[in-house]
Amino acid sequence: MKVEITKEQYLTYIEKVSEKIASEKNYITELDSITGDGDHWVNMNMGFQKLISSKSDLEQLSFNQMFKKIGMLIMSTVGGSSGVLYGSAYIKAASEIGDAEIIDLALLLKVFEAKLNGIMERGNAKPGDKTMIDSLYRGVEKFKEAISANKSDKEVLMAFKEGAQQGMQDTKEMEAAKGRAYYQTNKGVGHLDPGAVTMYYQIEALVDFLLTS
Amino acid sequence: MKKIINSPDHVVSEMLEGMVKCHPELVYFKDVEVVARKIKTKKVGLVSGGGSGHEPAHAGYVGRGMLDAAVAGNVFASPSPDRVLKGIEEANQGEGVLLIIKNYSGDIMNFQMAKELAEMDGANVDFVVVKDDVAVQDSTYSTGRRGIAGTVLVHKIAGAKAEQGATLEEVKAAAAKAIANIRSMGMAMSSCTLPGVGKPSFILGENEIEIGMGIHGEPGIEKSEILSAKELADRLVDKILKDFDYTNSEVAVMINGLGATPLMELYILNNEVEKILSSKNISIHKTYVGNFMTSLEMSGCSVTLLKLDDELKSLIDAPCDTPAFKG
Repeated sequence: MKVEITKEQYLTYIEKVSEKIASEKNYITELDSITGDGDHWVNMNMGFQKLISSKSDLEQLSFNQMFKKIGMLIMSTVGGSSGVLYGSAYIKAASEIGDAEIIDLALLLKVFEAKLNGIMERGNAKPGDKTMIDSLYRGVEKFKEAISANKSDKEVLMAFKEGAQQGMQDTKEMEAAKGRAYYQTNKGVGHLDPGAVTMYYQIEALVDFLLTS
Repeated sequence: MKKIINSPDHVVSEMLEGMVKCHPELVYFKDVEVVARKIKTKKVGLVSGGGSGHEPAHAGYVGRGMLDAAVAGNVFASPSPDRVLKGIEEANQGEGVLLIIKNYSGDIMNFQMAKELAEMDGANVDFVVVKDDVAVQDSTYSTGRRGIAGTVLVHKIAGAKAEQGATLEEVKAAAAKAIANIRSMGMAMSSCTLPGVGKPSFILGENEIEIGMGIHGEPGIEKSEILSAKELADRLVDKILKDFDYTNSEVAVMINGLGATPLMELYILNNEVEKILSSKNISIHKTYVGNFMTSLEMSGCSVTLLKLDDELKSLIDAPCDTPAFKG
C-alpha cells in the first residue's frame, strides 16, 4: 500500500479522533484530576466538537489553509495550555504543507516534525518533562527511523504509532517539570500525563484510519 | 452537582453578560470574553485575565485605578491568544499596554503569543508575571511558583501608577516592585466542582484541611486535621515570613476567601494575623478582607503580605473604583 492523504480524508480522520476523545471522558478526566485540575478532557472535547461543527467551512479551504484554520479553531476553543500548543502545532505544520494537495508519508513526517517543534518552542519544554511532547517526540523519532530504513508505508505507520505509545507510557515514571502536575509532591510520578494520552489518541487514530482506508 | 447554571458550556459568557448588566460602566465583548472600561483615558493600558472560576478576578477589577480590560478563559483554563489580543486592543490608547500574568504555564504561553500578535499590529506591549504563592519553591527550570491572591494588589499598584500618567516602563517597574515584595500562603478545607466535569476535583476528609493548596486545587504541602484560627494564622504567616523578611516594615495585608468561606471566619483569621504581625513589629498600613481570588465554591483562605515603601504606599492609597475593589 502507498499512503496518500487528501484533505477530505484528513477531515474524516478528525471525525474519528473526535469520537475517540469523546468516548474517553471518564478516563482522561480522572487522570487529569490526579495530576492536574480535571479540565483537560472538557477543553479538548470542546475543541474537537468545534472542528466537527466547522466541517463545511474547513472543506472549502486548501490543505494548508485548512491546517491553519484548524489551529486557530483549536486555539480559540480549547484554551488553556493545550489550545495554544495544538494551535501553534497546526499553524507551524500548515507552512510545511505549502501548496501540496496530497500528503504522502515523507511530507507527513515533516508535518509532525513541524508540530513537535511548534509545541516545544511555544511551551518552552522538552522531551522528558512529562507532557504531550513525550508521545509526539518518540513517535516522530520512530517515524523518522522507519523512513530512513526504507520500511514499507505500513511499517512506517506502525512504528509511528508504537513510538507514540511508548512515549505516552514513559510519562508514567517521569517527574513533571511543566504544567500543574509540577505542583504535586511527587511530580505526578506513577500516573500517565493526560496530555500525552490525548496526543497518543490522535496519532493512534490517524494511523488506524490510514491503515484501514 | 448543584449549581445555578443553564449549561456548563455557557457559564463564562452568561456570567459576564450578567455582570455588565449590573455594571453598566463596563462593556462586554461576547465570544472573546473580554470585559473593558467603557470610558477610555489616554494612559498606559493594563490587561489581566486567566481561567474563569476565580471571580471577582479578573473582570471585577476593571475600572478607574485598576485594569482597563480583563480576559476570561474557560473555567480554570487560560484564555486563548485571540481573546487576549482583543483585551490588548481595548486597553491600548497608544501609550503601551502592560499584561499582568499569573504564573501558570497556560497563561504564560497564551499571553505571550497574544503579545507577539499585538506587536505585529504595531502595539507596544510588555508584561509582568506574578508568582506570590510560597507553598511552591521558586525555580528557573520549571513552571515555579504560582500566582494567587497577591495578583489583585499588583493590579492595584500598577493601576494607580498608570492612572498617574506614568510611562509603560514606569508602570512595569512599579508592578515589578510590588511582585518582588509580595508573598501569599493559602489553605483549603473543601473541594470545588468544575461545571463541565460535574464532580469534585479532589476530596478532603470531614476534619481534614490542606495547607498550601493552589487556587485550582493543586496539591498543597501538607494535610492536617482542622486547626484553630490562631494555629492556622500561625502556620500561614510563618511560611510567608520564612520566605521573606517583613520584620520592621510596613505592609498591606490581604485576607482572601476561596469562595465558600464566610466573612465571619475571614475576620476571625484577620484578628489572629494582626496579632502575629504586631508581635513581630510588622506595622499594618492597610488590610483587605474578602473574596478577591476565589476557586469556585472551594472553602479556604489565603493570607498575602505586601511590603510597602513610600511609593507603594501612595499607590495603594490612591483612589480606585471597580466592581470588586474600591478605595
